Formats: sequence, C-alpha cells, structure tokens
Amino acid sequence: MATELQLLWLALTLYTLAGSTAIGATVLAKRPERVILAIILIGLFVHALSLGLRWERVGHGPFITMFEILSSNVWSLLLIFGVAYWRVPAVRPAAAVVMPVLFLMMAWLLVTSPAAGHYPPTYRTIWLYIHVLFGKVFLGSVLVAVGVAGVILLRHARFGVARLAQLPDDVRLENLAFRFMMLGFIFETLMLIAGAIWAQDAWGRYWAWDPLESWAFTTWLALALFVHLRITFKLRPLYSAAAIVAVFVLAFLTFFGVPFVATAPHKGAV
Amino acid sequence: MGMSDARVSTAAAPGGWIAAAGLKRLASLKLTLVLLLLLGAGVIGHDPVTGGAAWLVAVPLLLGAVNLSAAVLTHPVFRQQTALLMFHVALLAIVVLVAAGRLTYLNGQLELAEGEVFKGELARSESGPWHRSLLERARFVNDGFTIRYEKGVRRAETRNTVRWLDDTGREQKGVIGDNEPLVRHGYRFYTSFNKGFAPVFIWHPAGGPPQRGSINLPSYPIHEYGQALEWTLPGTQIKLWTMLQFDEVLLDSDRVSQFRLPTRHTLVVRIGDARQELVPGERMVLPAGILVYERLSTWMGYTVFYDWTLPWLFVACLLAVASLAWHFWKKFAVQPWDR
Repeated sequence: MATELQLLWLALTLYTLAGSTAIGATVLAKRPERVILAIILIGLFVHALSLGLRWERVGHGPFITMFEILSSNVWSLLLIFGVAYWRVPAVRPAAAVVMPVLFLMMAWLLVTSPAAGHYPPTYRTIWLYIHVLFGKVFLGSVLVAVGVAGVILLRHARFGVARLAQLPDDVRLENLAFRFMMLGFIFETLMLIAGAIWAQDAWGRYWAWDPLESWAFTTWLALALFVHLRITFKLRPLYSAAAIVAVFVLAFLTFFGVPFVATAPHKGAV
Repeated sequence: MGMSDARVSTAAAPGGWIAAAGLKRLASLKLTLVLLLLLGAGVIGHDPVTGGAAWLVAVPLLLGAVNLSAAVLTHPVFRQQTALLMFHVALLAIVVLVAAGRLTYLNGQLELAEGEVFKGELARSESGPWHRSLLERARFVNDGFTIRYEKGVRRAETRNTVRWLDDTGREQKGVIGDNEPLVRHGYRFYTSFNKGFAPVFIWHPAGGPPQRGSINLPSYPIHEYGQALEWTLPGTQIKLWTMLQFDEVLLDSDRVSQFRLPTRHTLVVRIGDARQELVPGERMVLPAGILVYERLSTWMGYTVFYDWTLPWLFVACLLAVASLAWHFWKKFAVQPWDR
C-alpha cells in the first residue's frame, strides 16, 4: 500500500506542477505548452501505476470508495484533457481553468481515507465498466468545454483581456466548447443507457428515480436545455460560456455530491 | 368554379390556417425550454419512494411529447436533417414506450422453500392497470442456493439453481443470481438478499390425509437473533410459535464463509403454555393431530419484474444515441476541431 500511495503523491505533485506552470504561463502571457503536456503525461503514467497496484491489491477496480472514485476521476479527467490538449491547440490555454478544478479534487482526495471498501456482487458485470467509461468520457468532455468557456469568461474580466488576446476569437472558442459539450451529451446519453441495462440485471428495474438517477437525468435535461437555449436565443459567447459552467457544476455535484449524501440504494459507492 | 365551390374554399382555408398556426405555437422552441425546466423541477420534486406527485414528471413529459410532435410536423429543419429527425422521433418513441410500460408492468416479491414450485402466487405486488397476469405459466422450482460471504459477513456471489419445463415440455435447469435473472414468458425473476431457514413439517390431522409444508423463518443473517415465527396449523385455529436454536457460528466475520444449515439444531415449538423442543424426526402430539418435524431446509426470496417494452426501449435508446452522434458528426465534420 505504501508504494501505491507514494506513486499517487508523486503523480499529484506532477499535476500540481503542470497546473501551476499553466496558471503562471497565463499570468505572464507565455505558452510553455510542450512542457505542460510532458509533465501531465508523466503524471498520468505514474498515477496509472498507482491505480494498477491498488487494483491488484484489493482485487477490483477503483469504483467503490470515495478515495478510489476521486483518484480514478482525477486520472481520467486529466487523460481526456491531455488528449484534447494534444490534438486541439486552441484548448491549451484552458489548462489554467481546468487545473484548479482538478486541484480541488486532488485536495479532497488527500483528506479521504484510502481504506478498501466492500465490492458488491452486483458490481461483477461488464456493464459496470461500460457505464463508468461512458461517464468518464462525458465528464471529461464537459470539463474541456468548461476550460474553454473559462477562457471566454476570463477575457471578459479585466484579468484576461491582454493575457488571452492571442487566442481565437470568442465565437470560435464558444463553438469549440459547444463541440465538447455535445460530445459530453452523447456520452451522457450512453452512460444513462448502460446504467439502465446494468440496473435491470442487477436490481430488477431499469429506472427507479433514485437520487443519482434523478440528478443524472436532470444533468441530461440541463444539456438539452443548453442546446435549445443556444438555438432559440442565439446566445452570445459570454452567456453560452456561463451556461456551460452551470451545466458542469450540476454534473460535478451529481458525480461527487449525490452519491455520498443519498441514503437510498445506488449510491455509486455502495 | 361555381358559387357553392367558392363558399367551401373560403370556409376551409381559415380553419386550416388556424390549425397550422396552432400547431406552430405548440411547436415553439420557447415552450420546449419551459417544459425542459418544468421536467427538471418535476424530477427533483417528485417522491419516487411513495410514487407521490408523479404528475410532476408525467405532465411535463406529456406536454413535451406534444411539443415535440408538433415540432417534428412543422419545423422544416427536421425535413432537412434526417439524423435530427431520427433522434427526436426516437425520443418520442421512448416516452410512448415508457408510458405503455407503466400501464402494463408488474413488480412483485415471492418466497420459495427449497424444492417448492412457483405456481404464480406473489407475496406482494404492484402492477399497471392493464397488466394481464400470465404468471401461472412462469412456473419454476427452487432447487436451493449457495451464497458466499466475505470477511465481515459481507454477501458475495449468490447462485440459485432452478428448474422449469420449456414450451416443448422438456425439463431445463439453470443457475440464476447476481446480474442473472430467470426469464420465463417475459417475467424476470431475480434472487434477492432475502433468504433464510425453512423448517419442514408433516401434519397428520386426526381423520385426514397428511400434509407436508414448510414455514419461512425471518431472513438470515439480517435477523440472526430473531429466528422465530408464529403461524397457524392448516385447517385449524391452532397458533404455533416456532423458534430455531443453534449454538455454532454459521457466518464467521473473521473469514470467508458460506451460507449453510447448522450441523446441530433444535426447534422450539410453543402452543399456549405448552413448550417442546424438537429435532428432525421428532413429533408433537396435539388434540387435532400429530405434527412431525421432518428437517431443516432453506428458502429464497425473489423479486419478479415484467415489462414487455424492454427490448423496444433498448432499440429506441440505441436509435436515439446513434442518430444524435450521426447528427453532430455530420455537423462538426464540416470544419476541423483545431481551427
């Protein structure tokens, strides 16, 4: 257990270094993008080793305790952001917005007990992996969109006017954020379908309006609302960016808030 | 054109125009926004445990279906973009199928002792108003189960062997358990955490044929210290209080264990002030007959679920997500992401 925790600490240190560099670069209007990507990639590799060691030790994937869920989500969110960072240059300045969100999760992770939890028999199914994978791609896509939306919002604040001036204009950035939101929309739909199939086999009902199901569906509705708002009112980039942040907050609370306050079945971590 | 023809024409045109205008109003995107907000509020506001205020979800869903139908009929965008049309039609199909499912569903619970045949009777159930029960066709036999427990008496795998006759009358055998229901005539039977011990008796009533039966003691290990039950002898008013007693630890919290019968046990039977301890094979003589305690067995609790729409819902969901992906793929492929 000591090795996996040491590796986790090392990974979190590297992520913090990458995030701090990204924030510092934004403040100083510099772009050390390759360095940031390299640090993120090394951090992901070290973190993957830590997750793998734990998987081997406890005999199941990181799906049960708050510690496991936070750790695996920090990894998957950074992996998805890393891919976007690598493939879509316009996303890169968003690191200064995305990393602080991940810092919050990392801080939360550090104060959470790393003790192993009970792996319920209903979790022994391929649908768990499919459901979780779709969920991670969903949240990762929305996080990238939030990063880009954050750049738009920062540009409307005094802080970002000069520092982020060299980036594509707000309309193009908003269009990019919208693409990631729609990628998230597709993957959230898939997540709900896979979850319903799993629930039917595991608990004998495909939908029971338990708190997590209700909030996940509400997040889906919020995404649908965002699309229709954008079409109906031809939202300006500033308002669209604010709507994206609102959807992300809802999705984040659904993922990391509801499972740990609900007393009903399907708490996510039970 | 004659005078009468002209009258018909002028009378029909305004009516058609009004209908079209009404349909366009129903198709309003602003109405969609309001309904999405109402649906979101309804999802959070309704009480799923008691089913209270279900209208908070049902009404916005129904209005949303009307709004969506009107939009599909009137907005030219749906005629220009096939994938978008398919996505919205699939959403409509999902709403219709869910409604049909709620009208015809069945949710129930039952308990079967080892060797007992399920004949269609449920201990508890709730169903849609249009559910036509075919449960008696879904007969099966519980042939017993194994359940592994991890340290800390945490339930792991459940394996329940069941038997049934297929449509050709041939006997089939299967193992059901976690994530694996028995599906018979559309009814899906699931094992539950509810299971326990079942003492088997033979009751010899004075002057009547003997009857074999069992009683299901409270669920084990949840009610480990409450393995007692009051029941009435069949065909009599005699109430018996029965309690299972054993000293050994069946499920050890310090190690991996398996659900099993105790090696040695006694059954305490009390009728009024009379009390007797029985081991398998012993009898209790009563004025109305003789009660023989045959053996200790187990029982399993099942849940049963019926919803004929499940495969259609699956198809509609797949169609919805595939068309949504197709729509955005086409939309975003026009311009690269990194521009």
